[in-house]
Amino acid sequence: MIGESEVMAALRNVYDPETCLSVVDLGLIYSVAVKPDRTVEVSMTLTTPACPAGGPMLEGVDRAVRALPEVADVAVELTFEPRWTPERISPEGRKELGWETA
Amino acid sequence: MTQGLGTRHAPSWRLIQAHFGLGVAGLIAFAAALAVCAPSLQGFFFQPVLLGLVHLCVLGWLMPIAIGALHQLVPVVFQVPVRSERLAWAAFALYVVGAPGLIAGFFTLDTSEPAGLLLPVSATLTALALLLYAANLLATLGGAGFARNGRSPQGGALAKSARRTLTGVHVHAALCWLSIAVMLGALMAWNLRAPFLPLFHVSVLRAHAHAAALGFFGLLIMGVAYRLLEMFLLSYGAPERAGWLGFFAVNAAVLLLGASFFGAGDILLRAGVASAAVGVAAFAVQVRAIFIRRTKRRIDVSWQHTATSIAYFALALAAGGTLALVPVGEPWWDRLHVAYALLAIPGFIGTIVVAQLYKILPFLVWLHRFSQFVGLKKVPAASELLPEAPKRVQYFAMHIGLAALVAGVLADCAPLRTGGAVLFAGSALLFARNLGVIYARQP
Repeated sequence: MIGESEVMAALRNVYDPETCLSVVDLGLIYSVAVKPDRTVEVSMTLTTPACPAGGPMLEGVDRAVRALPEVADVAVELTFEPRWTPERISPEGRKELGWETA
Repeated sequence: MTQGLGTRHAPSWRLIQAHFGLGVAGLIAFAAALAVCAPSLQGFFFQPVLLGLVHLCVLGWLMPIAIGALHQLVPVVFQVPVRSERLAWAAFALYVVGAPGLIAGFFTLDTSEPAGLLLPVSATLTALALLLYAANLLATLGGAGFARNGRSPQGGALAKSARRTLTGVHVHAALCWLSIAVMLGALMAWNLRAPFLPLFHVSVLRAHAHAAALGFFGLLIMGVAYRLLEMFLLSYGAPERAGWLGFFAVNAAVLLLGASFFGAGDILLRAGVASAAVGVAAFAVQVRAIFIRRTKRRIDVSWQHTATSIAYFALALAAGGTLALVPVGEPWWDRLHVAYALLAIPGFIGTIVVAQLYKILPFLVWLHRFSQFVGLKKVPAASELLPEAPKRVQYFAMHIGLAALVAGVLADCAPLRTGGAVLFAGSALLFARNLGVIYARQP
């Protein structure tokens, strides 16, 4: 059965149009759970509730996971608790944004 | 899934395209007229060429883009749909009839019958269009009212709180100043035909110009910049004290300057200039607070335009303050007036409009053409729809051109004015070409 790591790998192909970072590297994905009935539940946030790219990114997450084999259904939950902060950006993402050289 | 998202409230893409298209056409027309009229940019500012150029710049180029951007931004940021898209289209139709007539009326300034009716009738149509836009957007900002009736509880609560944000109060105040400015403008257009105002016409003109440039565009740019810079630079946690100070200072400046123009005295004029200075400084401090907290460290051309526009704002304030406080005498008084207008309008306002359009248009093209493929295949980011190099060339052409133009005005050097205006016209064509490349991108 598909695992959470495969789901996270698929989500690395969903990019924020402004920063060019994936939703994973931006730290927008709070949790991924694969249920026994092969439903994938994704809990995610946005950098701000008024993020203009929010809708396309949520839909992109849904499409990317739905395209995986063995996935029966997808449920994407949008939450702003806790609120996103820049500390959630991955080291690779920080490097991409010019924060760090290492 | 998308409940609570601002994007679901965005208006039709055609509405935004129509406004942006009109604005880009207006920029090209303004740049061409500026290049042709550059040798005449001298003398007292109340003359057909200068009035025509100013209104071509503001109503042809800047206003349609500002109105289009507002129709996109307000629903997304404040999470309420545009109150009436039909009303927005009606206002647009009135505007495309009224504004060209108004601009032509200024260039000709013909008071004979029946040609003399062109200016006041067109001004009335334009004012009506802008009042309809303002009413529709103010009603949109008040959308939390109907949301409380249960149609959109979550969006309503967010919208209600958003109206009290730094950006919300700026947009509110800007729309109120726009309403005042256009009413003064329409009154003046009729007053030119048959004087009835118990006030000196040029005093009303000064109040109209400052309500429009500082009250509407200034506050709009400040409020929207705070929000867009946070979004595009992914800035987080900047304190807002300077932003609030700037808001009150600029509003006070427009009130004080307006009162002084209507004869309330030099003390109010000095207080208005001081208040405007505080507003500009506070704006710069707030932008810096956002900038130093940015998550996106790499700086693009759009940010360079934004920083340059703040420099124009400060220079315009210096020119305006000098005019208000220092008896410079002829012919410097006239030259400084023209330089003041150039620094404030195409300089400060035009530059930030260019900056934000380089961000907003790629995002909208990405949203409407590419976003449906996110998650299925690799799609370019909004910033990848146009390379930085042509934007950089446009940046240098625009600002070298404007600097030469202002220097040519101050030095009363016609070749320098013409050279600067031609370079600026080249930058306008390149800007239109750059936007065209972005707009033509397909998946």
